[in-house]
Amino acid sequence: MNWVVWRQYRAQGAIALALLAAFTAVALWQGLEVASQWHSLVATCAGNSGCLRQGDLIRGVANGVPYLTLAVPVALGALCGAPLVAGELESRTSDFAWSQSVTRTRWLAAKTGWLLLGAAVCGGVVAVLVTWWSGPENAQLANTFITPQYDTQGIVPIGYAVFAVALGIAAGAVARRTLPAIAVVFAGFIGLRYVIDDFVRPYFMTAVTTYFHLTGPGVSPPGAAWMLSQGMVSPTGQVVSFAVPDMYGGVLPASCQNLLPSLGPVKGGNQSMNAVYSCLQARGWRGFVTYQPASRWWAFQGIETGIYVLLAAALIAVAFVIVRRRDA
Amino acid sequence: MSWVAWRQYRSQAVIAAALLAAFAAAILVDGFQIAAHWHAILLACAGNSACLHQEPAPTLVNGLVSDLPYLSLIVPAILGMLWGAPLVAHELETRTSDFAWAQSVTRTRWLAVKAGLLLLAAVVCGGVVSALTTWWSGPGNAQSGGQFSPGQFDIQGIVPVGYAVFAMALGIAAGTVARRTLPAIAVALGGFITLRLLVSDVLRPHYLAAITTYYNLTTGFTPAGSAWVLSQGAVSRTGQFVSAGWGSLGTFLPASCQSLLQGPPSKSGSLSAMFSCMQANGWRGVITYQPADRYRAFQGIEAGIYVLLAAALIAVAIVIVRRRDA
Repeated sequence: MNWVVWRQYRAQGAIALALLAAFTAVALWQGLEVASQWHSLVATCAGNSGCLRQGDLIRGVANGVPYLTLAVPVALGALCGAPLVAGELESRTSDFAWSQSVTRTRWLAAKTGWLLLGAAVCGGVVAVLVTWWSGPENAQLANTFITPQYDTQGIVPIGYAVFAVALGIAAGAVARRTLPAIAVVFAGFIGLRYVIDDFVRPYFMTAVTTYFHLTGPGVSPPGAAWMLSQGMVSPTGQVVSFAVPDMYGGVLPASCQNLLPSLGPVKGGNQSMNAVYSCLQARGWRGFVTYQPASRWWAFQGIETGIYVLLAAALIAVAFVIVRRRDA
Repeated sequence: MSWVAWRQYRSQAVIAAALLAAFAAAILVDGFQIAAHWHAILLACAGNSACLHQEPAPTLVNGLVSDLPYLSLIVPAILGMLWGAPLVAHELETRTSDFAWAQSVTRTRWLAVKAGLLLLAAVVCGGVVSALTTWWSGPGNAQSGGQFSPGQFDIQGIVPVGYAVFAMALGIAAGTVARRTLPAIAVALGGFITLRLLVSDVLRPHYLAAITTYYNLTTGFTPAGSAWVLSQGAVSRTGQFVSAGWGSLGTFLPASCQSLLQGPPSKSGSLSAMFSCMQANGWRGVITYQPADRYRAFQGIEAGIYVLLAAALIAVAIVIVRRRDA
């Protein structure tokens, strides 16, 4: 059976290998350039962190390429996963395959297993390259916890790739036709990624909220923390942002409201805002930041990868049940 | 023939209409929230532009659907893959072309009607999505003036229509050449992403010759409106260029200015002292940009490129279908 799988997929395997090699070449070429820029920047700045943040790392023509890797899982799922069962049913080669001495379960297990392994390898290689490539930028900007940096680095790309391929296989087994299965892969993958990114990921672990005095120095969480929200909060729980134009319109206590610059800009930086902050402080308002600490990055990566791998396992189980029950 | 084409595509048209309606609903809900916030800011600032642009800027785009407009970048590829690629390839695969091509309707007319209907659908889908994202981006454009920068330029105005027409034509042509749907889908996806990347990163900055301005480092210079800044930095008397990150500045500075680098350059005080020193030593600021008033011209040029490529691809498809043995 392994030999059959190899014969069926050797062309796709060769194409995937060529694309991976091309991507590796671009990543190494650009990554080495960025790394040498970063080393000269570190040497120039001699440990001065303000200086380090000022330097710009030129990523050149391949600037957008790391973010293009977001499309790798969906391409694998649509082009390799969806036709796995559906293509055989459409061309009726399943009639032949299912009348051999190999059971259907073993037929599906061999094809699915090899394809999922291929997906994990593709996702893993791409993720390793992007993570290495982004190293200097991660060190400079401390932004690994936000989209799309979080989504293209570490181990989550492997989870995405495995899930997308499993979705394609299950959709093809249910729909029996390749084209609708491909449409399901696109809609399902993009839809689920969007929902988990925006609605579920911020709540994987309870966020940390730190309060601080409005008149004192602000608090910024250390390292590559994920800032969820910040602003000022009243004793009754009303939230207002630090942007001055947002403070008009009766959201502040009237006595503090009167201290705001009557019309237009705050002259001389934040000097004239100090009176407003003192007034709010006296009335029990506090500054707050809500964030996920940088130390949780690997925990979040693990949780997210786990979710996608579990969903993939459920989808594969569905595909097995359907293929076993179907009349030939 | 129009009736046949409609019968073939009506269920897909219903699905597309439902998806467009859902997208429109999400964009409208979020867009009205953003617009209301922006109007409150305008009222608070009472027309004072310094108030509008002070730091920290109010966060306009923070809604839960804030990623949705950028998802519209993938719409053309999906149209090309799911509608364009199977147009000829799937009929060949299922041999329904044997039947279609044996009727009184000529092959040219058969392809012209089907391709015409799909290209029209691409224009409608691309246009509706683009109109919604352009309206949604309005307050953001007014606040930060970013509609000329990569990422923003690509989801607004008329270029999304050009992308949609091109992706559809690419799918049709790839299916005609490859005769099989799946490889045609792969070509449509790979070709669309590659061409978009090449055009936006390599070609777009050079549609019109960029303007380079030299300025006094101590006063600085900001191009008017939502210009697209291609590069900015400082240049020495001997032509040595250092980009505006100032990270590699230390290597090239005259010795008298070197000492000013000791403090953290992020503090504007020490930066301005260094700028004065550089200015005294003959350095000038240099900026290369595309001015804001070229936005429409750039949109027209880019849309034109994609529509011309689409026309060429459709011509290829028609030639191949006419020549093929049934």
